[in-house]
This record gives sequence, structure tokens and C-alpha cells, in this order.
Amino acid sequence: MKMKEKKEKVEWEKLENASKIFPATSSNKDTKVYRISAELHKNVNPENLQRALDLTLESFPMYKSILRRGFFWYYFERSNISPKVEIESTNPCSAIYIEGKKNLLFRVSYYKKRINFELFHSLSDGAGAVWFLETLVFHYMKINYKVELGDSVPSLDPSASISQKMDDSFWKNYTSNMQDSKIKKAQYISAYIIKGKRIDENKMKVIEGAMSVEEVLNISREYGTSMTVFLTSLLVHSIYVDMPKNKRKKPIVISVPIDLRGYYNSSTARNFFTTINISYDFQNNSSNFKDIVKYVDKEFKKKLEEGNIDLKISRFMKIENNPVARIVPLIMKDLFMKIADKFNDKSISSSISNIGRIKTAKEFESYIKQFSICVSARAPKITFCSYKDRLVITFTSPYKETDIQRVFFQFLANKGIKIEITSNM
Amino acid sequence: MKYCNHCKVYIREEHDRCVLCENMLDEELNEKNEDVFPEIQPFYESHLALKIMMFISIVALVVSFGINMIFPSSINWPILFMFGVISIWVGLIIIVQKRYHIPKKILWQVIIISILAVFWDYKTGWRGWSLDYVIPIACVSAMIIMYVTAKIMNLSIRNYITYALLDGIFGIIPVLFIIFDLVNVVYPSIISIGFSIISLSAIFIFQGREMKGEINKRMHI
Repeated sequence: MKMKEKKEKVEWEKLENASKIFPATSSNKDTKVYRISAELHKNVNPENLQRALDLTLESFPMYKSILRRGFFWYYFERSNISPKVEIESTNPCSAIYIEGKKNLLFRVSYYKKRINFELFHSLSDGAGAVWFLETLVFHYMKINYKVELGDSVPSLDPSASISQKMDDSFWKNYTSNMQDSKIKKAQYISAYIIKGKRIDENKMKVIEGAMSVEEVLNISREYGTSMTVFLTSLLVHSIYVDMPKNKRKKPIVISVPIDLRGYYNSSTARNFFTTINISYDFQNNSSNFKDIVKYVDKEFKKKLEEGNIDLKISRFMKIENNPVARIVPLIMKDLFMKIADKFNDKSISSSISNIGRIKTAKEFESYIKQFSICVSARAPKITFCSYKDRLVITFTSPYKETDIQRVFFQFLANKGIKIEITSNM
Repeated sequence: MKYCNHCKVYIREEHDRCVLCENMLDEELNEKNEDVFPEIQPFYESHLALKIMMFISIVALVVSFGINMIFPSSINWPILFMFGVISIWVGLIIIVQKRYHIPKKILWQVIIISILAVFWDYKTGWRGWSLDYVIPIACVSAMIIMYVTAKIMNLSIRNYITYALLDGIFGIIPVLFIIFDLVNVVYPSIISIGFSIISLSAIFIFQGREMKGEINKRMHI
């Protein structure tokens, strides 16, 4: 009786700060969808995957939401749609959110040895999605290898309460008493834009390179820096090599998403990230790779200081909380966000996103080969993650050309790293 | 796995050329490759019907203007014909655009039909049929259709309640027609007003709480 009463009430949720931009700016060209895949050593069993998915959703109730338009804002409405596991039949990162269509904001598919989890970015960021996939893989392993595992079945550590997972961490962690004068607006710079021939039907070209974490770490150490800084520098270098000479007066700007959970001790399964921009200007700086690394390293340290991150969040929250902005109808907001997004696009050349180390229980490690991530892109972008000693660096690009990718992977191969390439076309 | 001598990388899937440099690859090194990504069939959107309709519309318009120029008549009928074609297209676009949301579509159709009817009535010498019949009948039938489709398609109350409310409010507008003496035939207007008041009161009495929740949700600032 009690359950029924509860069900009748409409449960809905506001979108948190970072997710507000995605529905307004998603299009067929850039769907704002990303995909995390787990590759196993054996073919996936769809029935067991379905059972695992049903169990996983119990721990992530937010994921049963559909996205709807209100008069002033978008909102999530809890639905009773049960997602179906399907054989992979769509291109990587193809559209999930279609205005007016009432569907869930994620999709789970499989093909041979891979489990693909794709979601619309409003629902969560990479860290939240990894958490979901880790839980899904956990349940799948437990169901599928029940006999083989025998007594050594580990138990799932939920590591956070349901309400913690649904936290709007932007709202909880920002401080509004930042002085206006302290908020120094970053100067708008128009960045070098990578051009190319679009692939038909706005498909994404995904090129994954799998290699050893240890080997890449060793090379990063040789340059005296971390893996993220090293790979960012290598991306800058690869874009530079491909760049037409007369465009070299424009800086290469790489956008780097930063997971904020560590900074603010949050364990939300929703969006909680910000981005920093690393800009490199070849007109005033040397094109020597070592110098690029040195410069990028310095930029990272400067941009990641806690005060700068605080500032960035409070600036965005300020826009959201502005009374005038709040009473503007959603149709107008959509328009403004689209325009702002166009400007933002012109100030970024590419982006690199580190999803980090993906973990599973020790008992399952022998069944899993690797994890990989790709994302819808308006210019070639890098996403990477690691599992055990296997690092998978993925380039997603809307263009047919593969020169940047080639320079990038050749650089690593010439350092003696063994790279295995996979591509969807 | 195949190996690209130029890029010095291994290619996992079955490719003839290197994914990176597009050079031809040597024969298989050892075991056979298994594809990681499936072959996705291209997605052909069949817009042919739409294209044919568009073409016919343009041909018909050109022909009608041409005939009128060669054989002039006292009324400018090609203009009326053009408005007719535009009316059809407006209706069609709304249907296609709102295809995922039926109650919303119905409400939009009521609005479009009302506007077009008033326009046509005005253009053809204001005989008042749009206010007499079209608007009241459109409002009442929309309410009925909404209720019936909601029952058939098993839509939950919250999916159509807002639109039923808006249509109900819209259906009361003929009060103004009667007050300002704009209508010759009052029966359809009276039916529409009565029907709207009854359905609005039903919404508030039986679904008041849902309605409030729904408004809070949609209008949150």
C-alpha cells in the first residue's frame, strides 16, 4: 500500500550546473554522448548482462530518469522504463537525447566480447559512468561465472549511499562570497581550429591504441612529468605537426576536464567536473617537444591550484543563480547557450580527458582484457583510461583524416612501446 | 594481428590498410583477427515522399500563377491557393516535429487550425464561420481526442494533464465571442464553454494534487 502511494507521486530533479549546457547544445553533429566499453576474454552472454543491468539500476536510481523541458529549465523525471540490453547496432556515440522523445539517457549494448555503456552527458560525467560500468561488470561477472568462481565471489562495496550518489555537488560546494574583483575573467582567445572532411552521416571515427601503462609512465618520468601532462604535450605536438604554416599564429588550446570529487570530497554519481584550458602558442614558444612538456607542466600546476578551481565553480554558479537568468524562458536560454557554446568552440582546438584507473575485484581480473572510452567530438579528441597494466588511448574524430592520430601513435611507437590499434572504420 | 611497418603498430582487426597511415598491410602474422566493432549499416532516411510533395507543391503553384496570368480572372485565386499549400505544410511540420508527444501535438493542432480558420475566414470576406463553428468544435474535439488517446495509449495522467488544462482554458475563450457579439450561431460556443468548465473542474477536483506537482515541476525557476 505504502509503495503504491509513493509511486503515484512524480519524482523529479533539477539538472545540476554542468549538465544544463548539454541538452541545449547537443545535435546530430555533436551528440554529447560518450561510451565506455569493457572488453572481456570471452563472448558476452546477453541474458546475464540483462540481469546484471537490472541489478545495477537498483543502485543507481537516477539513471531511470528521462530528460524533459520545463518552462524555465530542463528537469529529470523518474520513469518506469526498463532498459533492454541490445546487440550493438548504432555507431559509437550516436544520439541518445532527442527532444520530446521519452527514453532513458543511456544505452547498454554488447558485441562479441565487448560490453558498451553509452550515456548522454547530462546524466553524469566520466567518473560517474565508470562507477556504473564497474557495478554492471561486477554483477555480470558474478552471474556469468558463478560456477567457476565458486566460493571466491567477492561482495560489492556500494561505497556511497543512494542519496550521496544523487548529490548535486555543485550546489553543495560552491561559495557565493567570492569578491567580484577577484574574479578575473580569462581573456577570450580564438584558438587554432582543426579542419577536415566530415565523415558521412556525422559518424565518429574511433581509433583506440592499447599499450602498457608502465611503459608510458616510464617515458613520462623521463620527461620529468605525469602521464596526463605528457600525453597533453604529445597531443599539442601532434596537432602542431599537422598544422598549416600560415595558421601558426593562433595558439593550440587543449581543454582538460577535471574531476572535482577529489577536491571536494564528494561521491556523487552525477556530473561534478570543470575544465581547464592549456594554451600553447608556437609563435612565441619553441616547437621542441621538451619545451612543450615543460610549459604544459607549469600551466597544469597553475590552473589546478585550489583557489582557481573554487573561482571557476563560483563563476558558473553565479550565472545559474542570477535572478534575471533564472526567469528567462527555456527557449531563450537554449538560444543563449547555443551561442555561448559556439564561441567556446572557437576557443578550443581539442581536448584530452583522463578517466583514470578502472578497478574491479581481484577475482575478476582474469576475465577482463581492457576498458576503453570514446566521446562524441567536433574536432579530434583524446580520452583515455587504464585497467591493470593496459592503457587505452582513444582518438575520436568527426574527420576522415588521421594525421594527428598517426603522429601521436608513431611518436609512442618510436619510443619502443608496443601499440595495438583498433578502429571502427 | 597485422603489423604496420611504417607506423610500427599492431592492427587488431581485419584491415587491408593501416588505420593510421593507410599503407597496405602484410599478411596475417599469427591467429586470425576477430572484429571488435560491428559493421553498422548506413542509415538512409527516406525523405522521398517529402521531396515529391515539395516538388508537387511548387509545380502546382507555378502552374496556377501562370494560368492566372494567361487567363486573368476577377479574383486572385492563385494567392488563395498558395495560402492553402502553406496551411498544409504548417500542419504537416507540426505533426512531424511533435511526433513524440501526442497531447502536445493535439494542442498545437488546435492552435494552428484556429489561426488558419480565422485567417481564411477573413480572407474570404468574413462570414464568421471560423468563430461560429471551427474554434469551439476544435476545442471540444481536442479534449475528447486527448482523453481517448490517453486511455488507448495508456499515458499516465501527468503526461497529458497540462495539455488538457491548457485546452480547457482555450475552450473558454468563446465566452468573449458571445460577450462581444462576434458570433451568429451560439450553440457551438456554448457547448465548448460548458465542456471546458466541466473538464477543468474535473481536473482540479480529481487531479488537483497531481496538477500542482506538475506545475511545480514544469515551472521551477
